[in-house]
Amino acid sequence: MVQLVGSLRKELADSISTCKVLVVGAGGIGCELLKNLVLTGFKNIEVIDLDTIDVSNLNRQFLFQKKHVGKSKAQVAKESALQFCPSANITAYHDSIMNPEYNVEFFRKFMLVMNALDNRAARNHVNRMCLAADIPLIESGTAGYLGQVTVIKKGMTECYECQPKPAQKTFPGCTIRNTPSEPIHCIVWAKYLFNQLFGEEDADQEVSPDTADPEAAWNPEETAARATASDKDGDIKRVSTKEWARSTGYDSVKLFNKLFKDDIMYLLTMDKLWKKRKAPTPLDWHQLENSECPKEGTPASGLKDQQVLDVWGYCQLFQHSVETLRSQLQEKGEGAELVWDKDDPPAMDFVTAAANLRMHIFSMNMKSRFDVKSMAGNIIPAIATTNAVIAGLIVLEGLKILSGELESCRTIFLNKCPNLRKKLLVPCVLDPPSANCYVCASKPEVTVKLNVHKTMVLTLQDKIVKERFGMVAPDVQIEDGKGTILISSEEGETEGNNNKFLSDFGIRNGSRLQADDFLQDYTLLINVLHDLERDVEFEVVGEAPDKAPPPQTNQEEVNSITNGNKDSAQPSTSSKGQHRSGHDLTSHSCYISAKRLSSVSEVELSSR
Amino acid sequence: VIDMIEKEDPVISEEEAAQYDRQIRLWGLDAQKRLRGSRVLLAGLGGLGAEVAKNLILAGVKGLTLLDHEQVSEESCRAQFLVPVTAQGQNRAKASLERAQNLNPMVKVHADPDRIEDKPDDFFLQFDAVCLTGCSRDLMIRVDQLCSKHNIKVFCGDVYGYYGYMFCNLGQAHNYVEEKPKVVKPSGESNDGPKAKKAKVDPNETTMVKKTASFCTLKEALAVDWTSEKAKAGLKRTPVDYFLLQVLLKFRTDKGRDPDPQSFPEDSQLLRQIRDDVLESLSLNSDLLNDDFISYCFSEMSPVCAVVGGVLGQEVVKALSQRDAPHRNFFFFDGRKGNGVVDYFGPN
Repeated sequence: MVQLVGSLRKELADSISTCKVLVVGAGGIGCELLKNLVLTGFKNIEVIDLDTIDVSNLNRQFLFQKKHVGKSKAQVAKESALQFCPSANITAYHDSIMNPEYNVEFFRKFMLVMNALDNRAARNHVNRMCLAADIPLIESGTAGYLGQVTVIKKGMTECYECQPKPAQKTFPGCTIRNTPSEPIHCIVWAKYLFNQLFGEEDADQEVSPDTADPEAAWNPEETAARATASDKDGDIKRVSTKEWARSTGYDSVKLFNKLFKDDIMYLLTMDKLWKKRKAPTPLDWHQLENSECPKEGTPASGLKDQQVLDVWGYCQLFQHSVETLRSQLQEKGEGAELVWDKDDPPAMDFVTAAANLRMHIFSMNMKSRFDVKSMAGNIIPAIATTNAVIAGLIVLEGLKILSGELESCRTIFLNKCPNLRKKLLVPCVLDPPSANCYVCASKPEVTVKLNVHKTMVLTLQDKIVKERFGMVAPDVQIEDGKGTILISSEEGETEGNNNKFLSDFGIRNGSRLQADDFLQDYTLLINVLHDLERDVEFEVVGEAPDKAPPPQTNQEEVNSITNGNKDSAQPSTSSKGQHRSGHDLTSHSCYISAKRLSSVSEVELSSR
Repeated sequence: VIDMIEKEDPVISEEEAAQYDRQIRLWGLDAQKRLRGSRVLLAGLGGLGAEVAKNLILAGVKGLTLLDHEQVSEESCRAQFLVPVTAQGQNRAKASLERAQNLNPMVKVHADPDRIEDKPDDFFLQFDAVCLTGCSRDLMIRVDQLCSKHNIKVFCGDVYGYYGYMFCNLGQAHNYVEEKPKVVKPSGESNDGPKAKKAKVDPNETTMVKKTASFCTLKEALAVDWTSEKAKAGLKRTPVDYFLLQVLLKFRTDKGRDPDPQSFPEDSQLLRQIRDDVLESLSLNSDLLNDDFISYCFSEMSPVCAVVGGVLGQEVVKALSQRDAPHRNFFFFDGRKGNGVVDYFGPN
């Protein structure tokens, strides 16, 4: 006779009350998940989150109240959840899951790991740790009205990295510097400008006109000629933007005229660019000042941030924010740098103003601070109900796992509207592991195309092995019979190699590198393909070029959108929820997705 | 009159803007303002009720009345998260009040310990939407009839073990808007040469399209005739959950309670019997709904309450804000399969 404890079979209820589970993330999904776990009868829960509580969390992260703003999410979530069941054992870690302290042994303590994350790097990492420890992982993500849940079990299902995920969206330098055509290009430019003026200068974040733009030249020789000419040419390239600004005392009017008049006039001389495009129109500060119209007196009937100002309004905002940031910089002292933060009002004002002025110059409709903030700050709209549904589904999958019913686990998609088969929640059978997966295959291997004479060891470490292939603390050696060590995870050991080129170590076409991450228990063999013609730093063979995601069905679009909110996919995605009518998928086309809406994080320049 | 003014009140405070930022970015300021002017009645503070309460309070409605005459039992503490573990013996609505209010001080939360059956008709008229959980079939039909006559949006929902449903009646003419991408046609002329492009319009510009949907009453929805040839032909595409719901509502009417794990053997037997009776009364084959469901429909499962409460909560938000197409008119969730379907039952 079936014995029930509440809704559950007794055996299941017993195993729930004794097993240990890990929740990674205590935000939107995490809060709902903790509540569900406690109410379902889980007694041993550990939760980890590196973040603190912000007021914008309070519309959905219901374990937090206004009085908790600034405190540790994991800690407060634990305290609130304990109220629902004081006899539960909840351990909270205010820490990053990528900290080496959380090694394979740590993960092995748990019967089940549940992700409630918002970025791809952490998801990749937890994926590898769970593979290494052979612990089932429930992965999930939400974005606006959409969400999904899936189960990852080593050897049985696809891992999180089996299917290539659309790479971070990047824009070519010439688009940002010379020929922006969308608001997002102007916003990226404005963020770069912030860094050049007030923050950490980055060679990949140039804002001045790009004289070496191949599109600008009537013939190839001209490109080279222009490049050298500008070196001799006064202030376009010779002096860094920051140095120039400093030399003028961060005079906002001088800055304005350089960026929005002189540089634009320079762009106009590159006439080939404007043959098939509408040419930009330079702005003149004093002209704008004199032709200022008195404001119409209607008070804002909505959010102040949602107003779109006129050009002079943004001129003033530019001036004001420059002055404020200048003081901030002065206060911090010699050699100080500011870090851009969407929640820092002058920083946000600056980007709003600079982006809008540029939009106006390039004949685009200007945007409100509210909209600029969405794009510049990668804000994903979020509500309580979507997270509630997904967190409920996570626990239900967890119960199947604990009952030993892994075959009944599914990937489940939450749509905004029912599909043609009337389904709002669409369960899909899980796919088996991909034989070529560069993470979970028995001997993972990849081929990378790059120029061995132009790729530095530091680039290999940071952009390729860490960023692209998700290692946290890599060791890389050359398979040259000598086991030459290129990169060591020990701090400082191979620093001297950073600025050397791969070819300096004898690496050439066909060379093989072995990359290891000890913490993730992960070894990856990298085959090097030397390629001279490169307008990107590197390319992973077997994938579409990193700018263009492969053509997608509606459901796959959903997945890529609910993937990693802090990462990028569609920078120009509207901040409002988009309608997706998913349809039933056969097992093959289900993507494993992750958390929230992707949007622009640090948009990278693809170098030429 | 006060309500109208507040609904029209253009000013949104800084506190609201900061707290509701992430949802305003999803459904827009107008929707948020309409929510802010809406009063909702929520009957039943069991597992599902608590989820709906949380979702509506977080969304920022003007007021939420928690109506429940039941007392907190030992099981209630485990079933829902608004009732403190020390509150046994207290009225469930009153015991839920403090935590509910703390979810969002900007919402007026009120606890009412009365029996819903004892409420006079005009009690319901003060609300813009009414949400019934844990109510008997007859009561739901009665309240639905009354409210829809007065243009009050009606929602019903329950969770039985791994299964749950939601029903809504938004009236015969529910108006709402949908946001659609704007199509921009480029004009042919330009100052910059024959092939120069016109100034590019932001590809993300959208336009609001007005729509209307009509709903039938709960009585009509539950009284579908299955004897016609047409109905029988449509059975294959009909979610079996609809019939499961009829069985569980009948159990509730006959026993005055839901299936109880403490009475598992007797209740299982009764469920089987009621299943047979219900299907027979509808002139349907008894194998339409097999025995599987029986051991999985006991008690309110927390994750199932979360799923159904999430969908139900969002439907209330949509209806009050008059934005986005409502689910018409049932949502059924099967927690064992992970299936969630929307389907219409009622006259065509």
